[in-house]
Amino acid sequence: MAKTIMIVDDSASLRQVVSIALIGAGYDVIEGCDGKDALSKLQGQKISLIVSDVNMPNMDGITMVQEIKKLPAYKFTPIIMLTTESADDKKAAGQAAGAKAWMVKPFKPEQLLMAVSKLVQP
Amino acid sequence: MNMEQAFQTFLAESTELLQDMENKLLGFDNCDDPAESVNSIFRAVHTIKGSAGLFGLDDIVAFTHVVESVLDEVRSGSFVLDEPLINLLLQCKDYIGKMVDSIDGEAVLMAPEDLPVQAALEDALFAYLNTEHSTSAATALVGIDDADNYQSVSVIESDSAMANENWHISVYFGADVLRNGMDPLSFLRYLATLGDIVHIETVTDDLPGIEDMDAESCYLGYEINFHSSASKSQIEDVFEFVREDCQLKILPPYAKVSDFIEIIDNIQNDELKLGEILVRCGTLTQRELDNLLQMQNAVKEGGTHRLIGEIVVEDGLASSEVVTAALHRQAQGKKAKEKQAQTVRVDAEKLDHLINLIGELVIASAGIESETHLAGIASLVESAQTMTRLVEEVRESALNLRMVQIGETFNRFQRVVRDVSKELGKDIDLQIDGADTELDKTVIEKISDPLMHLVRNSIDHGIESPALRSQRNKPATGNVKLNAYHESGTIVIEVSDDGGGLNREKILQKARANGLVSAEAELSAHDINQLIFEAGFSTAEAVSNISGRGVGMDVVRRNIEALRGTVEIDSEYTVGTTIRIRLPLTLAIIDGFMMKVGDAFYVVPLDIVEECIELNANHSVGHDGRSYINLRGEVLPFIRLGDYFCQSGSNAKRENIVVIKYGSLKAGFVVDELMGEFQTVIKPLGPLFERVPGISGSTILGSGEVALILDASSLIHLVMQRDGKAISAAAQQSALH
Repeated sequence: MAKTIMIVDDSASLRQVVSIALIGAGYDVIEGCDGKDALSKLQGQKISLIVSDVNMPNMDGITMVQEIKKLPAYKFTPIIMLTTESADDKKAAGQAAGAKAWMVKPFKPEQLLMAVSKLVQP
Repeated sequence: MNMEQAFQTFLAESTELLQDMENKLLGFDNCDDPAESVNSIFRAVHTIKGSAGLFGLDDIVAFTHVVESVLDEVRSGSFVLDEPLINLLLQCKDYIGKMVDSIDGEAVLMAPEDLPVQAALEDALFAYLNTEHSTSAATALVGIDDADNYQSVSVIESDSAMANENWHISVYFGADVLRNGMDPLSFLRYLATLGDIVHIETVTDDLPGIEDMDAESCYLGYEINFHSSASKSQIEDVFEFVREDCQLKILPPYAKVSDFIEIIDNIQNDELKLGEILVRCGTLTQRELDNLLQMQNAVKEGGTHRLIGEIVVEDGLASSEVVTAALHRQAQGKKAKEKQAQTVRVDAEKLDHLINLIGELVIASAGIESETHLAGIASLVESAQTMTRLVEEVRESALNLRMVQIGETFNRFQRVVRDVSKELGKDIDLQIDGADTELDKTVIEKISDPLMHLVRNSIDHGIESPALRSQRNKPATGNVKLNAYHESGTIVIEVSDDGGGLNREKILQKARANGLVSAEAELSAHDINQLIFEAGFSTAEAVSNISGRGVGMDVVRRNIEALRGTVEIDSEYTVGTTIRIRLPLTLAIIDGFMMKVGDAFYVVPLDIVEECIELNANHSVGHDGRSYINLRGEVLPFIRLGDYFCQSGSNAKRENIVVIKYGSLKAGFVVDELMGEFQTVIKPLGPLFERVPGISGSTILGSGEVALILDASSLIHLVMQRDGKAISAAAQQSALH
């Protein structure tokens, strides 16, 4: 069974492009448009990897990661943060929340794909 | 769902976000939650930037990055969003909208008049940032930062790793790897997609007793013998997500060292720093370099300054061989850069067009000059002279534009010599002299193939095998030398080696066997040497893939002759060979010397004219078209041009001899009248007359008449051949006197 990856971003076009790339590589994809939306969609799913933006309306990425880490089923799920912030405090916040990996935006779909395939094979 | 749809989504989304941004900016003064307003403005720009990056729209990414940086400062409270900044941001919003509208396929095609607008906006934005114009946005990176827990650990002896063909990777995962959601096996699986894991050793030394073990912690390390053609940074990238959670050491296979050096030699960019060169060739990864630079800075603050090269070698990240090669490349780059600053690139076609026009100008001005002389108006003559002088200067500098140094062509042979000599198991040094000698670019382009052939010949046939060299008491390392210099209006290029030299006995035998020379013909050493330029001639015992098929030297000669040049060879058996190519400096316009015989005009390049003397009755003269005179104790053979070109008898009262020197040879041309210096625009003869011996081209005089350009070298050789014996006898005679 294909592994499922969740992509959380407020930009619909980014979600679309990432989804096309991931589905093409053989993953299943669930989209979330912000932190709150993502959390609500996690329930009852088996998700192997979460790729999430930091800066989003309603609930930002950092808060979302903190919430996710509280869920027993997702305690050890790897999370890649997508971030433009080069500021170290943002990274530290993400790290403290439980996301260890991040990609600096902007990136090319194949860059994300390569990063993903290191953590989870389809 | 496809990319086209996603792109449409991007367009709609951008328009929406920009509209939202405008609304927020306009309503900023009256809004309830300024922080959230700023945040959503920031988010709009941020989202556009991120999506634009996905579609590869780098121009939009670069610009939005600057806007975003300013907004980030606002968000963090560095300055307030006041009226002027709002106005600026509105302009930026308009400009981003314009950029999105101008997307054409993969690129943003902005109208030229918009670019100054962008520059002005960026300047205004940078004023808020107080930073240099740097767009770090272009570097999309998967980030695992900070070198705090980075330590290069020597896990195994470097010797044992050096001895084998495979990469050696040692990776020790940190305790938190599992807790962070990383699966060590996942990385090993990914690694296996890059190559073969030949051997893997699981290191369990850190494994505590079962009662102390934390099920969520990772205690494992792996020593991996890895066979792959991947680069070091590709291999390192496999572990990027656990980079700070693990100790990683990647040792290259032994064979890689030579590869690195080769890559360094071939790097095109001349502005790289040492570290960058090492990264480029794959010795260091970017991450290792960043760590090193941090270490270097830290140490600098501590007082002692260490060079990157030293650190790299001491830490065993690269062998000193590679670093030396990189340092060498860096020094070269610096030199080349100094030169670059003073040059402008021009399309070669434009240059050719200019030269052609100047050729026409030269002819036209010659016409004006002769007309003014006929008209006899003093003031007109004077101004015509001024113009002629200027035309001459213009011609000089235009031709100079095409002159390039031969050094670049020579340097390419470094690689050839290294590769070919390695292939043949010979140890050969290439020595380059006269690299700054200039010649016409067209000539340089056409000469590099023949040169390549000669160099390969020198390596293959010239330099002996190491065993034979030691037998002949020569140093084990052979020497091939390229040299270039100017000599009387020509450029001379020499390829010489200290190898075996030509075996004249063998050449003569072969030539007789092939019927190139009749059995009883007696040839001088020089003539025998020249035989190797005949078609189908090769004495090499073994035909190797480097050279020796006998199609070489005659092709070389033909190529060189097509450039109006000559090639000759000096060689001494067991001592060495020098091949000398002599070429005209330019193929377009020359300073000529004009002579007249009867009604016909002849031109020779001025540079080869030594002197002009009167041919008086004292000189022994035979009217059979060849003879010689005694020129201050030297034998000077001469040729009557009128006779040679079968002109009906000249009736000049006095005859003159123009003494021509070509290489080491001298000869005289007997002519009726000396017309003096003349700017000669060389016109080709056309296919019908191309093969006429003694003539290399034609030129048009100001009067519209045609003059023939003499091929001095072939005429001299003609004279020498015909009079060879008589001259050597005469030379002996004059030596006796």
